[in-house]
Amino acid sequence: MAQTFLDSTELVLNMGPQHPSTHGVLRVIVKLDGEKVLGTECVIGYLHRGVEKIAENRTYQMFAPYVDRMDYVAAISNGLGYCLAVEKLVSAEAPPRAQVVRVILTELNRIASHLLWLGTHALDVGAITPLFYTMREREYALNIFEQYCGARLTTHAFRIGGLQYEVYEDMEKDVLDFCRMFAPKIDEYEELLSGNRIWMERLINVGILNAEDCKAYGVTGPMLRAAGVNWDIRKAMPYSGYDKYDFEVPVRENGDTYDRYIVRMLEMRQSVRILEQAARGIPEGPIMAKVPKVLKPPVGEAYVSIEAPKGELGYFIVSDGSVQPYRLRVRPPSFVNLQALDKMARGSLVADLVAIIGTIDIVLGEVDR
Amino acid sequence: MRKLLRTIFLVDLFEGLWVTFRSQHPKKIVTEQYPMHRPKVAERYRGAPRLNINPENGETLCISCDLCALACPEKLIVVGWVRNPETKRKDLVNFTFDTSRCMFCGLCEDACPVDALELTQDFELASYTREGQIWDRQMLEEGPRPTQYKS
Amino acid sequence: MSEEVKPTPPDAGPETPKPAAPPAAAPKPPAAAAKPAAPKPPPPPAVMAATPWESDLTAALKAEFADQITEFSTYVGQSFLVARTAAVPSIIDFLKLEQGFDYLVDVTAVHYPKKPEPFELVYILYSFARNERIRIKCGVKEGERPASIAAAHPTADWLEREVFDMFGIEFEGHPNLKRILMPDEWEGFPLRKDKSIIDMDQRWVQENLGIESGQ
Repeated sequence: MAQTFLDSTELVLNMGPQHPSTHGVLRVIVKLDGEKVLGTECVIGYLHRGVEKIAENRTYQMFAPYVDRMDYVAAISNGLGYCLAVEKLVSAEAPPRAQVVRVILTELNRIASHLLWLGTHALDVGAITPLFYTMREREYALNIFEQYCGARLTTHAFRIGGLQYEVYEDMEKDVLDFCRMFAPKIDEYEELLSGNRIWMERLINVGILNAEDCKAYGVTGPMLRAAGVNWDIRKAMPYSGYDKYDFEVPVRENGDTYDRYIVRMLEMRQSVRILEQAARGIPEGPIMAKVPKVLKPPVGEAYVSIEAPKGELGYFIVSDGSVQPYRLRVRPPSFVNLQALDKMARGSLVADLVAIIGTIDIVLGEVDR
Repeated sequence: MRKLLRTIFLVDLFEGLWVTFRSQHPKKIVTEQYPMHRPKVAERYRGAPRLNINPENGETLCISCDLCALACPEKLIVVGWVRNPETKRKDLVNFTFDTSRCMFCGLCEDACPVDALELTQDFELASYTREGQIWDRQMLEEGPRPTQYKS
Repeated sequence: MSEEVKPTPPDAGPETPKPAAPPAAAPKPPAAAAKPAAPKPPPPPAVMAATPWESDLTAALKAEFADQITEFSTYVGQSFLVARTAAVPSIIDFLKLEQGFDYLVDVTAVHYPKKPEPFELVYILYSFARNERIRIKCGVKEGERPASIAAAHPTADWLEREVFDMFGIEFEGHPNLKRILMPDEWEGFPLRKDKSIIDMDQRWVQENLGIESGQ
């Protein structure tokens, strides 16, 4: 007589916010038919700290440490984007030496971010071993950050107009050592995963997002390139001297989870290439451009975006001529990419949902800001 | 035949043990015996704040310029001073630093014109109370004194 | 076994309260007012020093939307146009279909409480084919409902929800307009300028978190 929920074919399942494979506090409400996903809805905001409101109450220099707290896995990229945006507003440019050091640290950070992604994504899919290896190599990159600026994760490495810290004594050698050590390690990971039958079964043709959908959903970064669009802001709108380096933009065709994995692996190899070129050619000179201590950008607005490890990270700053930004908007890549989850997950199995969340490479600090 | 000999003499086992043995080299041990041996952090590590004093006469280097307090994004620093009528200079009376909300961004250190305020390599900042996290001038000058353990 | 050599606690306990002068969190004048005043340079202009923007794109837009677009400008090398609110969806459609601006980068807003149209919506568009980024801006009155562009650009779904969440601008025709980052029961819109950073929904914080809000 009493109708139980088992009578219906649809089941609504709540996943998260404390689910280990949601990479933080993402909550996904999943509608299931058996094991098939009929639709998803993301509930976000558990980590909302009001970064944009904080920015309106801080001076330009003061706000720089806060951007590290958004994408805390790639804090240096966040800092670079913010510094470039403010430098655009005040029409300043970092000196060549500062730009090269910025490139070195940003690329190291890209590798560190991709390594953390690889370890946790493999963990989601069921391979525990890669996590230990990736964390081990990530440690080398974090050690370089610590030697350079004294912090490992939320680094606050860059300042508006250049750098605060001079290159430490052995930095060039450390970076080159890292490149030499790291290049064979990528082969190791690929040996573990790329041809692995279980890995391929779990990833190939899972969570397909083609190029058209990528553009429609505003998806950027490795996800867009895995779908066959050769677009990288480092190439399309070079910043911080990226046009001087010889590197390629890896592109794949299918746009499934496996291709995103391959693209990120290839990206790490390209980052090593950039690192080698940059570390060999750190020019001499000042590290700080002439930027006034009391920074009052003229009235105006600017949008500057960079290629963060997760996609296009943009800062839209409106200045009213005072020492504080009138409005600061962050265009977070994870937030926009996460929106495509529903499109990718529809029709897949609930076990694949975990792989799809992992492949977006979200950091909830950035989604919620 | 060769395979049999390998099995009899446990070659595979010794090969495996050799791998284990190789990573026993003292240089390769990464485990830290933490309370006994404190790890060495980087030279530029941003840890506990310290208010430097002049080693010659024991006076503070701080000139009460208030720049660190203005640079702090979280407004954690309060500098108290009085104008000395004789020397016409500011004398530092009080200096509080709230480490509970400090994010160790290093902006106060950058702002200091005389290198008086410095973020040091001390990283043991835990306290049993919230009030204990607010450091006064004496604490800042002496630095935290974490419990020492004999190794 | 480890043995304590010096039993001094790492800090003074609660029985010896610090002679802390005013607590560090005491209200202070905003840093802007307290900044040392530099020798006064000539006052900067109070409006954006933008220069006119001319290209084949502006010519095409002028031909299509004659009086709907009020301004074409460039500032620090970035082009933007100011349009009437009602025309924005059709401009974005036109740019997407005819000019290849197929990637909506961002939708956001700025609040100017003193202006007759207090909100300024900002759409940032990018074209992969042209490698060009433009901004479209339009003013929105209090209570006005601009049309949603989520049908043409699915990415606008969440971005418009965030604008609604933060500024309270309701979009006409949006499929699922509700709060996205703030809690559903939250009152007020945090990024409006008439709310200061500590002047927030005290009731919600007390009921749900059990703490007094404020810094």
